[in-house]
Amino acid sequence: MTKEQFLNSLDTALRKLPKEDREEIKQDFMEHFLMGEAEGKSEKEIIAALGSPQQIGKEMAANYYVDQMETQITPGSIFKAIWAIIGLGFFNLVIVLGPLIGILGILLGGWVAGMAFVLSPLLVLVNVFVYPGSFEFFDLFVATGLSGLGIFISIGMYFATKAIIFGLIRYLKFNISLVKGGLNA
Amino acid sequence: MLVLLDQQDRYGYELVQKISNQISISEGSVYPLLRRLTKEGYFTTYLKESTEGPSRKYYQLTNTGRIYLHKLLQEWKDFTYGVNELIKEGVKDD
Repeated sequence: MTKEQFLNSLDTALRKLPKEDREEIKQDFMEHFLMGEAEGKSEKEIIAALGSPQQIGKEMAANYYVDQMETQITPGSIFKAIWAIIGLGFFNLVIVLGPLIGILGILLGGWVAGMAFVLSPLLVLVNVFVYPGSFEFFDLFVATGLSGLGIFISIGMYFATKAIIFGLIRYLKFNISLVKGGLNA
Repeated sequence: MLVLLDQQDRYGYELVQKISNQISISEGSVYPLLRRLTKEGYFTTYLKESTEGPSRKYYQLTNTGRIYLHKLLQEWKDFTYGVNELIKEGVKDD
């Protein structure tokens, strides 16, 4: 691999990033090559020490997506950040995806329960329409009570979701700094 | 990296060499880390002409960075102290 090839594959790996960032990163590596050459190292040696441009590109991209997620929390931005970090290596697949699926399950369950409780008076109405004459005040009271409980659960879930997203950002950041790609023993 | 910048500003290549001399990490992985810490506001960068060769990008520790450094150092001390105590006890028992 030559210097040009290295810079090209790095640039390809970074194609999703804004032009500014790409230029800056390229500049940093060009500086690195120049300094290395000034020390009398060959292109080959420098490239071997740097490691794979694809891996560097992935790490840069993961950095970028996590920052994006922080500035703009949308399902899309969260998904991209998670995807980028998982792409860093198998280790991340396990320690990111595992807990994530568990937490998503709990969140989803909480929301579904909350919503179902809130909507339970509707069920009583549906019941009355389907089986006229089966109306009982007891059902309505229970359903109204459940509905109130459901509203509390939903409010609780709202804050829980916010807290979990905040925690997720921190966890993903910790992950990036933890693995830091390619320990090359 | 924070420690290396505590006493003086350094340029990217210098940082990379210092780190890869001590820790077996591929040199290319230091740059994403540098960018991350810069974006977090722990470093600022500036370009400076050098007498030999091209202008160099220097990294400087910010106040936030220094506070973060001291927090990490304290955590590290507490952690290593704990581990050392455990080792001492373990070795005595043997």
